[in-house]
Amino acid sequence: MIKINNLDFAYKNTQVFRRISLEFEKGNIYGLLGENGVGKTTLLKLICGLQKPQYGEITVDGFTPSMRQPQFLQNVFFLPEEVITEDTTPEKFIQKTGVFYPRYDFDLFNKLMKELEVDLSKKFNELSHGQKKKALLACAMSLQTDYLFLDEPTNGLDIPSKALFRKVISQYCSDETTVIISTHQVKDVENLIDPIVILDRDDVLLNASFSKITEKIFFEYGPERLDNAYYTEMLPGGYINVMRNVNNEESNVNIEALFNAVMKNKETIKNLMK
Amino acid sequence: MNNTLDFNRLGKVVKHDGASFAQNLSLALIILWSIPLVIWLFSSLTPNNGHIDSYSRISIISTLGTILLIMAPARLYKYCNDSRQGIRYAMLPASSLEKFISMVFYCVIVAPVIYLAGALAIDSILAVLGGPYEGFAIADYFNDLSQFRHMVRQKMMMGEEDYTLLANCLSPTIIILSKALSTLAMSSVFMFGNMVFKKRKTGKMIGILILLFIIFMIIMVNYVANHEEQISRWFGYMNEENTAYVITRMIRVSINASLIFSAVVSVVMLWLTYYKIKTQKY
Repeated sequence: MIKINNLDFAYKNTQVFRRISLEFEKGNIYGLLGENGVGKTTLLKLICGLQKPQYGEITVDGFTPSMRQPQFLQNVFFLPEEVITEDTTPEKFIQKTGVFYPRYDFDLFNKLMKELEVDLSKKFNELSHGQKKKALLACAMSLQTDYLFLDEPTNGLDIPSKALFRKVISQYCSDETTVIISTHQVKDVENLIDPIVILDRDDVLLNASFSKITEKIFFEYGPERLDNAYYTEMLPGGYINVMRNVNNEESNVNIEALFNAVMKNKETIKNLMK
Repeated sequence: MNNTLDFNRLGKVVKHDGASFAQNLSLALIILWSIPLVIWLFSSLTPNNGHIDSYSRISIISTLGTILLIMAPARLYKYCNDSRQGIRYAMLPASSLEKFISMVFYCVIVAPVIYLAGALAIDSILAVLGGPYEGFAIADYFNDLSQFRHMVRQKMMMGEEDYTLLANCLSPTIIILSKALSTLAMSSVFMFGNMVFKKRKTGKMIGILILLFIIFMIIMVNYVANHEEQISRWFGYMNEENTAYVITRMIRVSINASLIFSAVVSVVMLWLTYYKIKTQKY
């Protein structure tokens, strides 16, 4: 379990987080959403130990990430947005890296490379951006770490690859694996992520599962715009209205509409979800 | 599991870093090895088949070795503090100490030893082929040193005590220890530079060393200028009878000072390099 308590973090004069507290429970695939520059990547780096909090505490299964202890590192994998350009094949890369991870499975790597349709014979720097990302995803999954952090994983992937990405994540992540996906492309991870965390400058606006969200918020698809909605958007064939769920009605979460509703009604929805 | 030092895991880190050693350093090694060969070829082509003595050959080999020491950290570990490429290095499940030991192993031991073995082997082969290179450089070097000691003894009419002191100061053990410590110091300075600077790592570190040297020289020149009388008085104590005594002691003091300086620089720079590996942010 990841526990973030009273976290403060700033880059020189730019404050990124101010006393935020947050928890990520085991076995979930979290969607980490937020506008550009709110600190999604920074949060992932802090959880991985690549940055150190200036105040407050982060623990991952009792480990302090910034200490970068081997026992902690062998259970986490971070796939950054910008991928490596090594002069080696993914196979050689995973063979030299995998030995450090106790649950690393080379057969699974080969299987994933085939499923993701990545050319095994090519070096990283001979692969396209999307192919590199898929190769690294295969590497990450084959290490079978307890925590997997993906920063904008679908950037640069074509449409079939995005579907393959969703399939691989949902199929090969065990019940014990915690995945945090930081993304702008909410459509790419729809039906994959649950719960959702929405970050704002200095603050966490939402950290809730779909069931908790739909318990409090109702997503109404109808022919007209409703005045009492937190957010309304025109869709082909009508409107989506995001509103308070006063009648305990069931609905399906539209992540994009939810995100926009939260951004427009920060304090209201934050208080509603408490 | 020990989170600071585990020999099994250290072995894995050494193997991991070794996988890219040849790829990153082979070109530099080939170029450096080929320079004595080029010198041999050009010297062979000169009309009088110019002889190059073992001392000059050892000087060339050691200068090229210094170049290798300077460039090795940036060639082997250039990505370590890069905000993007360095993430893999930081996230590798090994302790900072294990990563540091592996870095020292490749920069201070493996790279210079491979270079030196290759350079001496090439020199020996060229010596066997004849031409401008005569005799085996390393053996001749220590022979020349021994001859130098005898020559100094004769010229300065040294007594047994002074000669023993000089012989001890210029013994193969002290020379090798001095070379090893200066190698460690040089390498550790550039390992630290590699962890501190993100771009033009080697160039910036050389610039800083030149700047420090200039500052040191300014201080020394000022000191000498302000203490001219005192220094003249010191040299005034020297006469025909005690010149050998004073010179041998000066040699001993300067060798000891250089050994201590190299050791202190090495310890400080190695500790700072380890600290940077441990606390580097990405």
